[in-house]
Amino acid sequence: MEIISPEGLRIDGRRPEEIRRFNCRLGVLSRADGSAYLEQGNTKALASINGPHQAGDKAKIKHDRVHINFQYSMATFSTNERRNRPKGDKRSIDISQLMREIFQSAILTDLYPKSQIDIHVQILQADGGNYSACINAATLALMDAGVPMKDFICSCTASLVDSKTIIDVNNSEELHFSNPLLTLAILPTSEEIILCQMKSRLHADHLEDILKAGIKGCKDIYEIMHREVLNHVREAAAVMNAT
Amino acid sequence: MLKSRTFVKKTRKGGVVKVVQEHYLRDDVWCGVIGCSSCNTTQAVLDPQCLNVQSNLCPKSHFIIPDTNVVCKQIDILEENCIKHAIFLQTVLQEVKHLSASTYRRIRDAIANPEKKFYVFSNEHHKKTYIERGKDESPNDRNDRAIRVAAKWYQKHMQDNCFQTDIVLLTNDVENKEKAVQDNLTTYTMYEYVMALTDSPELMDKLSGDFEDDEKNQIVFAEYLPLSKIQSAIKAGRLIQGTFQSSRDNYKEGFVRVHGEEQDIFIKDLDSINRAIQDDVVAVEMLPKQEWTKPSGLVCRDVENNENDNAETAGLENTAREEKLENYIADALPSGKVVGIIKRNWRPYCGILLPNPNPNARRFLFRAADRRIPRIRILTRQSSNLLGQRIIVSVDAWQRKRRYPEGHFVRRLGPIGDKETESEVLLIEHNVPYQQFSQAVLNDLPTLPWEITDDDAKQREDLRHLTICSIDPPGCTDIDDALHLTALENGNYEVGVHIADVSHFIRPGTAIDIEAANRGTTVYLAEKRIDMVPELLSSNLCSLRSNVDRFAFSCIWELSPDADVIAARFTKSIIKSQAAFTYAEAQLIIDDKQRNDDIAISLRSLNVLAQALNKKRLDQGALSLASPEIRFQVDSETHDPLELVKKELRETNSLVEEFMLLANITVAERIYEIFPQCALLRRHPSPPLSNFDILLKSAAVKNIQLQVDSAKMLSTSLAQADLQDNPYFNTLLRILVTRCMMQAVYFCSGTLAYQDYCHYGLATPIYTHFTSPIRRYSDIIVHRLLAISIGADKTYPDLMKKDKVQELCNHLNFRHKMAQYAQRSSVSLYAQLFFRNRVTKEEGYILFVRKNAIQVLIPKYGIENTIFLRSADGSELPFIHDEQNLSLTYQDITLQVFDRVLVEIAVEHNEIQGSKIRLQLLEPQVCSFSV
Amino acid sequence: MSSSTLSEGRKQFIVDGVTQDCRADGRRCIDFRRFQIETGIVSNTNGSARLRQYGTDVLVGIKAEIGQPKQERSNTGHLEFYVDCSSYNTTEIDGHIGDFTTQLTKSLERIYDSENVLDLKSLTIIAGEQVWVLYIDAVVLECCGNLLDCISIAVKAALYNTRIPGVSVNDEEGVLELEISDDPNDEKKLSIDKVPVIVSCNKIGHRYVVDATQEEECCSSGRLLIAVNDRNNICSLQKSGTGSLDPSTIFEMIETARQAAVPLNQELLQTLKREERSNNDKCGFFAN
Repeated sequence: MEIISPEGLRIDGRRPEEIRRFNCRLGVLSRADGSAYLEQGNTKALASINGPHQAGDKAKIKHDRVHINFQYSMATFSTNERRNRPKGDKRSIDISQLMREIFQSAILTDLYPKSQIDIHVQILQADGGNYSACINAATLALMDAGVPMKDFICSCTASLVDSKTIIDVNNSEELHFSNPLLTLAILPTSEEIILCQMKSRLHADHLEDILKAGIKGCKDIYEIMHREVLNHVREAAAVMNAT
Repeated sequence: MLKSRTFVKKTRKGGVVKVVQEHYLRDDVWCGVIGCSSCNTTQAVLDPQCLNVQSNLCPKSHFIIPDTNVVCKQIDILEENCIKHAIFLQTVLQEVKHLSASTYRRIRDAIANPEKKFYVFSNEHHKKTYIERGKDESPNDRNDRAIRVAAKWYQKHMQDNCFQTDIVLLTNDVENKEKAVQDNLTTYTMYEYVMALTDSPELMDKLSGDFEDDEKNQIVFAEYLPLSKIQSAIKAGRLIQGTFQSSRDNYKEGFVRVHGEEQDIFIKDLDSINRAIQDDVVAVEMLPKQEWTKPSGLVCRDVENNENDNAETAGLENTAREEKLENYIADALPSGKVVGIIKRNWRPYCGILLPNPNPNARRFLFRAADRRIPRIRILTRQSSNLLGQRIIVSVDAWQRKRRYPEGHFVRRLGPIGDKETESEVLLIEHNVPYQQFSQAVLNDLPTLPWEITDDDAKQREDLRHLTICSIDPPGCTDIDDALHLTALENGNYEVGVHIADVSHFIRPGTAIDIEAANRGTTVYLAEKRIDMVPELLSSNLCSLRSNVDRFAFSCIWELSPDADVIAARFTKSIIKSQAAFTYAEAQLIIDDKQRNDDIAISLRSLNVLAQALNKKRLDQGALSLASPEIRFQVDSETHDPLELVKKELRETNSLVEEFMLLANITVAERIYEIFPQCALLRRHPSPPLSNFDILLKSAAVKNIQLQVDSAKMLSTSLAQADLQDNPYFNTLLRILVTRCMMQAVYFCSGTLAYQDYCHYGLATPIYTHFTSPIRRYSDIIVHRLLAISIGADKTYPDLMKKDKVQELCNHLNFRHKMAQYAQRSSVSLYAQLFFRNRVTKEEGYILFVRKNAIQVLIPKYGIENTIFLRSADGSELPFIHDEQNLSLTYQDITLQVFDRVLVEIAVEHNEIQGSKIRLQLLEPQVCSFSV
Repeated sequence: MSSSTLSEGRKQFIVDGVTQDCRADGRRCIDFRRFQIETGIVSNTNGSARLRQYGTDVLVGIKAEIGQPKQERSNTGHLEFYVDCSSYNTTEIDGHIGDFTTQLTKSLERIYDSENVLDLKSLTIIAGEQVWVLYIDAVVLECCGNLLDCISIAVKAALYNTRIPGVSVNDEEGVLELEISDDPNDEKKLSIDKVPVIVSCNKIGHRYVVDATQEEECCSSGRLLIAVNDRNNICSLQKSGTGSLDPSTIFEMIETARQAAVPLNQELLQTLKREERSNNDKCGFFAN
């Protein structure tokens, strides 16, 4: 199957270095301390934040910083073939652990000693790039909750198909297992890499290209996220001024 | 803008799953017209001022938009030089791809040719031309509508941008045409369009016709099952899928090869073959056991005359005679009949037009050079120009009521019997790409004078001080290997094999790389070679000629005096060969005891080591097999064959061979170690025991018992097999053994388990090709892998992917097989030219005995041919076939396998099909033969 | 929220309000809170719906899969429920979250997986061999009381939105082969005429309250689940939670529930029909 046509279009009509339609919105839930919903193409994720609050589990209290409790789940109907469980499988647990580490390095954890922040991200529809969507949604929800962070964390996937790099890989493209899949998350201002995960084989010679493309994708996503956060703050300010 | 595509598909578990995919619509899909003010024209190819064809219908400049059916059926016309400036819609290409992969490849090639000015318009992703499927609209209707919408958009777009160019939709579909006319689109059928081209009347012949059924014709063949039924039936195991292989000997018989099954399914009679043509993927229904039969053993060719239409209505003349003859249910083969076609694998065929007695006839029968292909009916107005010529014809369809498939004329090659023409025929028939290298390929060549830069020198080991020499056949200009030997102080030897560093010049992904990969191998014909890489590389920069600096990839061992490998290393190097010897020259030096210079000493040591290596190999069970190899001494002016030369074998041949084998094995081990998943290796599967049946049977006739359980046992028992009265017997046996072997093939290491890597013939657990990168693409890949393993080169993605490497292997295997066939055909073509004006008596041996013919090998000329046992008036002689003793008996004459016979070799001239070599039996004399 | 976290004074305030038919948020005892419903927002499901109330957010997705019939009902399709409360703040639930979820799932299954509710026969593909199984999965995104009723409304809406792909059965000489229609418009709708919504009726003081808030649920002395369909028929009845009820109060509670269900069912149907007609791009979570 041609993933990129000779005319330079991917199966869904995008060019190789274009991201999918990216939409996001902050404050979608009323009871959570912070929440955000985002769509990267047909991948849809909802993130909610509770806290910082007093740590529930005594064993997890840390005296110098906040404990981050990250939960990743996928709605049973989110994938094309129905899943049996939304969470608790090995992969979700693995991702939750990974995500906890990622956000620990961006949240200013020492501001809230002895407390806990709950981050819960749920994938409502999965069409590739689930981890990326998860990271982006969680970042926005943290913004909504007003949790101080070093920077945004923006994430994007990239792959190498017939020596061409493509970014923001969707599910039908991901299904070609032999192509490498890089999930990347960066702090956009410093361009520091905070997550770099590779599936399948890629020779080190091509790492630079694929990394470059991935970073570009992250920065494109950052532009949109940043704009949305500013909008949200402006709207909130307008409401406050009006009352 | 965003649309989503939703479809439901079956899962592997038999369930269904709803799949939703995004579908983006863009506003940056450009029209591709040069000078368009509203589009980005950097990639534009369509020239609005063009007037490429003279046409009565479309006098103005115009662009054509062919629909799917036109592309699929009339690809030959679209490939014609005079057809330019066409727009191909994404919808059309997607449908074509789905319908026929080979047509898709051809149209993609045409689009890639900048001369053609073909443009692809991604209408499915264009905001204004994307349409959604309506309620109650079939997918086909939706696509037809999409094509009309896109054509309409183009029409408007041209007007909006003040172009005078017309848009012409080409469709053969009546309904589609009607609707297009309603939409005010200029629409023609392909027939109308081509008819109106005043300056290219010859295109008419290339039109693929529409074949309406003649009512008068009786139904000849059973109807095919629909594809959907076939698929479910195959899944349920009621039908079997396989590839149809027509018998070379009898056009009324064939086999269906089922993937993964050792036993082919036998198909008897035209009724059961049911319009399947060589290589078609078919669905077969097995016959009940009591109806199973086996090949008749007869050699049968289809009628040679151009039969009139009445003959068609007569139905299929199933040979009742042979059926009555015997009752051979005893060892019947699993038999079946073709009930459906899964995929046609038709290609353009070379062949000749059969003359039609009616002088005004326009319908002719065409006979393909490949005798497994049935006659093809074509319509032509220029028969007088085509008779006596080699032509190419494509098949369009095979109607149920037709005895033969219908096709159309594609191209004329030249007169029958002409050396050039016949050579081209055999190249085309074996799918050998033989065109001149394109400019893009030549652009990738280094410029002359080529010099070694300091950078190059830095990255390479300088081995110019070594005494390196090469040994090749006389006249060889593509020298890809050279050797050296240095005695070490510890009593061991340092031996180096230096291989031309082709991968230095051919970088992955370049035009020259793609071309070389496609060619796969250099093809050696009797009078010329078809190079894999341009001559500048093959005969100059990569050729390790003497006394010039050349880049090499060196494999250097430390060998003990017993030829045990102590250590091995690989390096990219610069070498300077001291001498380029022929085998004979090298042999002379070795034998000349007076010579004691460096070269002579090292050659002698190499020779000793090679003999040690050879002995080791034979001890492990490597086979040494015979196949008569002959070469023609060709007149340098006329290229006519002057003399037949049998290839002589000297010690030095074996010297070079042993070290090349050692290099290949050492490299294979190395790349497998570094790239266990994606190393390109070569294996030679051990043949299934059933392959040896004919060999054992033949040997048993002469009371010789052969052991075939392992390569070692086979080679031992072969060595002992000798007959007092037949000095050539052993060689004949070895020839038969080669016929029992499997093909050696390239494969990707990740696709098989290690124990399957073994090379049966060479008796080595792992093997690859490293030593001839100038003439084999596989070696280039191996060079790249090896270079990466020593850090001298970089990877690229396709090299690291198991499936891509395997894909390449399959392609190379195909090319190698075809190159071999082409080589053989070329030799027999030259044999024919050689015997054209002489009649020779020669002794031959019977290799195989058939029911009505014997197959005779003439060792002197390497000719193998069938002799039909016919009397002078053409009737068959009542020979009695003894299957057990493999003999034919008539009166007091007995012909048995391995028998020596005396034959007359002559070239038989035939008006229709040109000349061919014909053997006549002189001894033993059958009275009625000797006319 | 467990009952212990609510102060006695607050409890008294709520009970008093209910007695006077004026609840803390100003509703009458038989009033439902306003809700928004939107269908078809998860495109890779066969049907989906999201229900939003202040503080409650439920997403239901339905996937139709081909499976084997249940042994006792070999000629009909069936429904499988799953409620996912993982994003629900677990501190607000009394008791173990697993028990809570199981309880919800069981209640839904008991009420909906019945031929009286849905034409399960129409889900049969090959009798006794292959049937459509509807996996109805509810994700509770947040909740502020009366969860089961909310889920049931969303389930009904999602069923309304559900389209079953066209499948035909080919009889190939005795071997039955399923063939999926290649026409995306060839789909089957489900009839929701008889599909009920659940109205949980709480006894607070001496009155009966529907659509109780979390606070009100803490003051309830007994709860009855009543499933009422468009024809105002009772489809199912279930005593839920702790506490005991007098037989006579049961009848009064049923009456209250039926009164409350009429406008609820009507409003839901109207919303669904309006939404289906408008056929606009879905706002989903971007709606305000």
